[in-house]
Amino acid sequence: MDLALVIQTAFNGLANGALYAVIASGFVLVYRATSVVNFAIAEFMLIGAYLTYTMSLFFPLLLALLLALPPAFIFGLLVERGFVRPLLGRNVVAVVMATIGLAAALDGATLLLWGPDQKAMGAADVFQLPKEMPNLAFSLGGVFLSSKAVWSLVLALPLALLLVVALKYSRYGVLLRAVSESETAALAMGINAPRVVAVAWGLSAVMATIGGAFLAGAAGGGGPGHHLILLGLIVFPVAILGGFDSVPGAVVAGLFIGLIEAFSQLYLESLLPGITQAIPFLIVLLVLLFRPYGLFGQHRIERV
Amino acid sequence: MAEINVENLKVVYRGVILALQGVSMRAGAGEAVALLGPNGAGKSTLVRAISGLLPQYDGRVLDGKIVINGQETQHLPALKVAGLGLTAILEGRPIFRYLTVTENLRAAGHKLTPQRQKELTDEIFTRFPRLYERRFEQGGYLSGGEQQMLLLGMALLTEPRILVVDEPSLGLSPKLTEEVMRVLDELRRDKGLTLVLVEQNARAAFSIVERVYVMEQGRVVFEGTAKEAQADADVMEFYLGGAVAGGFAEAKRYRRRKRWV
Repeated sequence: MDLALVIQTAFNGLANGALYAVIASGFVLVYRATSVVNFAIAEFMLIGAYLTYTMSLFFPLLLALLLALPPAFIFGLLVERGFVRPLLGRNVVAVVMATIGLAAALDGATLLLWGPDQKAMGAADVFQLPKEMPNLAFSLGGVFLSSKAVWSLVLALPLALLLVVALKYSRYGVLLRAVSESETAALAMGINAPRVVAVAWGLSAVMATIGGAFLAGAAGGGGPGHHLILLGLIVFPVAILGGFDSVPGAVVAGLFIGLIEAFSQLYLESLLPGITQAIPFLIVLLVLLFRPYGLFGQHRIERV
Repeated sequence: MAEINVENLKVVYRGVILALQGVSMRAGAGEAVALLGPNGAGKSTLVRAISGLLPQYDGRVLDGKIVINGQETQHLPALKVAGLGLTAILEGRPIFRYLTVTENLRAAGHKLTPQRQKELTDEIFTRFPRLYERRFEQGGYLSGGEQQMLLLGMALLTEPRILVVDEPSLGLSPKLTEEVMRVLDELRRDKGLTLVLVEQNARAAFSIVERVYVMEQGRVVFEGTAKEAQADADVMEFYLGGAVAGGFAEAKRYRRRKRWV
């Protein structure tokens, strides 16, 4: 076994996993806040990627990504206000169907707005600024890491971890956990539950933008396209594996699935073509057999 | 001026179930008032209406007025009502079960400056040393009495001027109930609160309130001082669970007769 190759694969896996982690933690945040399973999460990624693309027409890529975040946040708020809030408290199936409908609508909207053709990030160069992100690729003792991998580790992973820490210790985190438990009790204590929930949707859209922009190839070639929607499906096994209501769980599960995918690509793909796409779902099936709450799912408090 | 006036309030659930059929009550500034009565009398509905939480239960005010500190609130959302200085502790001990004791207090005191929050948290831990001992435990693992203390602490952190408490004695032993009432009384006097106490356990309530409303089937059927209520045989026998010679059948008959008189 080539140790350098293993280390390189591990890093690449973690880099991809960090993106899964950041998207899934936003997805779980929304689930915690509103008990809504957002089936339109892949479209959130898509819109985030397109927003980054649009910004990249005017600004260097790193700045474009940062500038795409405020409109993404507002997009999340709008979805919550116009779409989710009127449905809260309704039948679960109705809400699920609504988010599936939202996904289809957003799909159509991106097609109308940005057209069907493949886009390349940073196509125009209005201010004569460097288009690409600073190149962070490096090679050390036979281990090569692409700039994209390093960037996603540097940007996405800290962000996902920041969310975990903020949820545990910040004022907003405490309020969100309170509201997620009982909106009525929160309101009775004067907590502005609607605002707390709206911010969760905004943050989720921000996290999806970062993941989406990277997965669409923000840090080196490629461009947003509808293949993102298939990639977005990975959020479900990651969230389920993590326990569905646990943000730390989503982060750990994201990294884990990234690693498994990378190694499966390296060792299994030649034996069983296509196994890499299936493997996250197989793992989820196996884990659920033994741990129905996922890896970090919240256990019910029962006093005996 | 921290007072509540409820005038001829009618509340309906899901558009059809009339839970309050014209209730009037008032609690003046700094006064302690009890709402007593059996299950289904409409006490909790009145609490929900006062605190603006009816929409959360699919209910709405059909008619009548609620005036808090001179402002009509019957159609205001819960957050606005809370902004007027009213805090409601709902029935069923609604602490945040997955949050630790400290986090529960933090959530309740989220509007305060860190300095003020710390002062009040210290005060709560001094009043309830048991909460301090268990400050890192999740609320769901506390005993019923501890949860009730935590709720009172949380309410204190919202710095209310009017406190509405729904059935604090539910599921507590007589000794603990006595303790909760003592603390409630102490808090009210120390902070100059207006208190609306909803109870089924009339005896516990009498010890700390000045006036009493007895409710039955969505109406107020008795209004008077705590002393008058205790002296009124009907109130004691039929609404507040006193024993009647002749057993249940006799009580029912007596009650039916009374209703027709």
